[in-house]
Amino acid sequence: MPRSAESAIPPRPLRLIAGAAIAIAIAVLIGTLFWSILGAATGTASGARTDIGYLIYITTLQASLSTVLSLMVGVALAWALNRLRFPGRGLIIGLFASAIVTPGIIVAFGLLAVWGRAGWLGGLNVPIFGLGGVVAAHIILDAAFAARVLLARLDAIPETRLKTGQSLALPAWTRFRVSDWPAMRGTLRGLAAIIFLLAFTSFPIVLLLGGGPSVQTLEVAIYSAVRLDFDLVTAVQLALIQIAICAAIIVASAAFGQISSSLDRPTSPRWRDAGGARALQWIVLILALLGFASPLVAVLLNGIEGLGDMLVRPAFWRATLTSLGVGAASAVLTLILGLTIAAARAASSSRLGRIAIGVPSYAYLAVPAVALALGAFIFVRNLGVPPDTVAPIVVIAANALLSLPFVMATLAPPFDAIARSRGKLIRSLDLGGVRQFTAIEWPLLARDVGLVLALAFCFSLGDLGVIALFDTKDFVTLPLLMVRALGAYRTNDAGTIAALMLVITIVAFTALPALFERLSRARA
Amino acid sequence: MFRFTLAFAALLALGLPAAAQDKPTLTIYTYDSFAAEWGPGPQLKTGFEATCSCTVEYVTAEDAISALRRVQLEGATTNADAVVGLDTFIAGEARATGLFAPHGLTLDLAMDWTDPDFVPFDLGYFAFVYNKETTPTPPASFEELIALPDDFKIVVMDPRSSTPGLGLVVWIKEAYGDRAAEIWRGLKPHILTMSRGWSEGYGLFLSGEADMALSYTSSPAYHIVAENDQRYAAAEFTEGHGEQVEVSGILKSSPHQDLARQFLAYMASPEGQKTLPTTNWMYPVIDLGADLPAAFGPQPAKVLPVDEATVTAERNAWIEEALAAIR
Repeated sequence: MPRSAESAIPPRPLRLIAGAAIAIAIAVLIGTLFWSILGAATGTASGARTDIGYLIYITTLQASLSTVLSLMVGVALAWALNRLRFPGRGLIIGLFASAIVTPGIIVAFGLLAVWGRAGWLGGLNVPIFGLGGVVAAHIILDAAFAARVLLARLDAIPETRLKTGQSLALPAWTRFRVSDWPAMRGTLRGLAAIIFLLAFTSFPIVLLLGGGPSVQTLEVAIYSAVRLDFDLVTAVQLALIQIAICAAIIVASAAFGQISSSLDRPTSPRWRDAGGARALQWIVLILALLGFASPLVAVLLNGIEGLGDMLVRPAFWRATLTSLGVGAASAVLTLILGLTIAAARAASSSRLGRIAIGVPSYAYLAVPAVALALGAFIFVRNLGVPPDTVAPIVVIAANALLSLPFVMATLAPPFDAIARSRGKLIRSLDLGGVRQFTAIEWPLLARDVGLVLALAFCFSLGDLGVIALFDTKDFVTLPLLMVRALGAYRTNDAGTIAALMLVITIVAFTALPALFERLSRARA
Repeated sequence: MFRFTLAFAALLALGLPAAAQDKPTLTIYTYDSFAAEWGPGPQLKTGFEATCSCTVEYVTAEDAISALRRVQLEGATTNADAVVGLDTFIAGEARATGLFAPHGLTLDLAMDWTDPDFVPFDLGYFAFVYNKETTPTPPASFEELIALPDDFKIVVMDPRSSTPGLGLVVWIKEAYGDRAAEIWRGLKPHILTMSRGWSEGYGLFLSGEADMALSYTSSPAYHIVAENDQRYAAAEFTEGHGEQVEVSGILKSSPHQDLARQFLAYMASPEGQKTLPTTNWMYPVIDLGADLPAAFGPQPAKVLPVDEATVTAERNAWIEEALAAIR
């Protein structure tokens, strides 16, 4: 990184302070939650322990495989989607992105509806249980999301660069190497950290598809320490191991040199690759459709049956309203936090400062949901507030913090790119921080902001981790209603709710980015 | 967006408890599916409120163990008057917390019951449920199951995260004692997966991924009564079946102990018991005669009683043994 580029970053002390304050607040919050748990521990030592070493090994292996393969598939898919134009493209992109925010268990059942022994392709005898099945499910969840985020970066490659490349008639591979790869590289690290964390902390999906105790996850041991043994000291120790491993991955990914991504308004490139590459793009797309979209389509089809009954149920509408409220509230909160941190990170010229500001926003994802819920419960009680009344606030805040890494992965690279590529312009025009945002950043970021809002909204809409563990009483969201239906033998009702959640998610992912892009164009 | 927020605020306001009422509120900690729309909670609440001049309020946790953990965390300052839905596997631990008061009730039950602290309200027997069309001749014992070809698959639940999962560990231990590890090793090739909870595991079975799933002998009754689907049955095992008795306890710290006692008595009364089979899909603890749907069928010929003290002391060692055998 040339020093001249760094010095071009406009000084923004207020942004730095605000971002650092949020980063510190998150770190303090996590510390407080653990402190609360330890404070409540009565010091009872539990009896025999499952082989923790093995759990750490298998969880790390599984998460690493999931991460590497998801990123490879994600890059290939983003590449294909960036080049190809076809009717229904927008809807398919929305469908792909919706996987990551759909409760994992729904996706797993969709996967089984296609590949399981009683599924559409059951005759192929694909071994879906075991390490392969778990990794496959994680790829479906995460690769399509990675593709969605990477596609946004490819779409933002400046038109001038594309025109130059086209006039030079660059072959497909060279084009990928000199144009696409640099645009995606800056985002890959954040994505890798997120996918690793998601796979590492994945719990029901691993147990459902793992095929027994040989493929499991550290979270099951943490959950068991809290629930079955009520051994809070061990639970905190295990949670800290998990956080340490995840933190090592996050810091490692953040510590690589700064890579700036290119940035421009999304364009509709009319530069097609040559025949062979184009054929490959179609193959990638068709395989991805078969692999990713089919489980989700299976979920939708399974849900149609009970639709009429569900739509007349008041409990369903109450839960829908609650879910939409939680989703909207935490989406707005996530966006505010994410914009502040990403802006602060981009305004910092020291590598250490960037890590210190950026890393805490990921840390929350590494905290086991059960520790989170327990810590929040004890903390709130220690404050003298009845946990029931603050359940909605805790759920909204927890979901906002859980979505924050996704927001960072989406917003941080373009913010950096702006600071680097438009820094000199901003300095020479002597723009203030506010004008910098409204005149330069917002028009370039609006589409990403839409994506981020959709992500955070849907993530909270489909959340099962926090809501299921924190005391909820009358506070019932759609995923909770689904779990209740499943627990009361009502598989069909659960299927219908799952399908409706998926529909809301796809709509949000299709509509919000488009809406925000239109807003930005209207203002510009 | 703003309208959502408004609607949400209105929703929150509705959720808050109504201001100062004369009627006492009986706060009951229970597991989520008990208080859910389809569970027994709403009917029991309505039935009891008609007689008690009080308000019943359920506070739910993910499962009964979590409800107990919540009471433990809250200690003497808990709002709970009673905990409903504990079972024989955690009753020993619950008793040891010293938070529960003797129930003081004279119970007229269809079972021997001498527990001074906890009142039973329903019971079930762990069993493997199968589809009669696809599995015309189910195994009649663990050993027959083990002898089947490896492609005969069962779904079980993780004993660390699920009560039926723990129930299976105890069931096999009671039936086979020192041979338990050998039985688990034999089961290993048949175990399709070990799901986190009963719902997902049973869902796998219903969607045709496995031939049998760990559940209760009363599960087929749900399909018969609620869905008019006669295909499912529970395989009767000659070793006998593990038993789970669901119980409730009154908290010492409760200012409404009498009310709580009345509620527990109501749950064990014919009126209360009548609601349980078709909402919780478990057997009643009194003889309901014709009020028990015929679909429930006879109870298993042989039942393996759970020894609370042994389970409390040995539980983790048994879980370790089972997991090690199938890893």
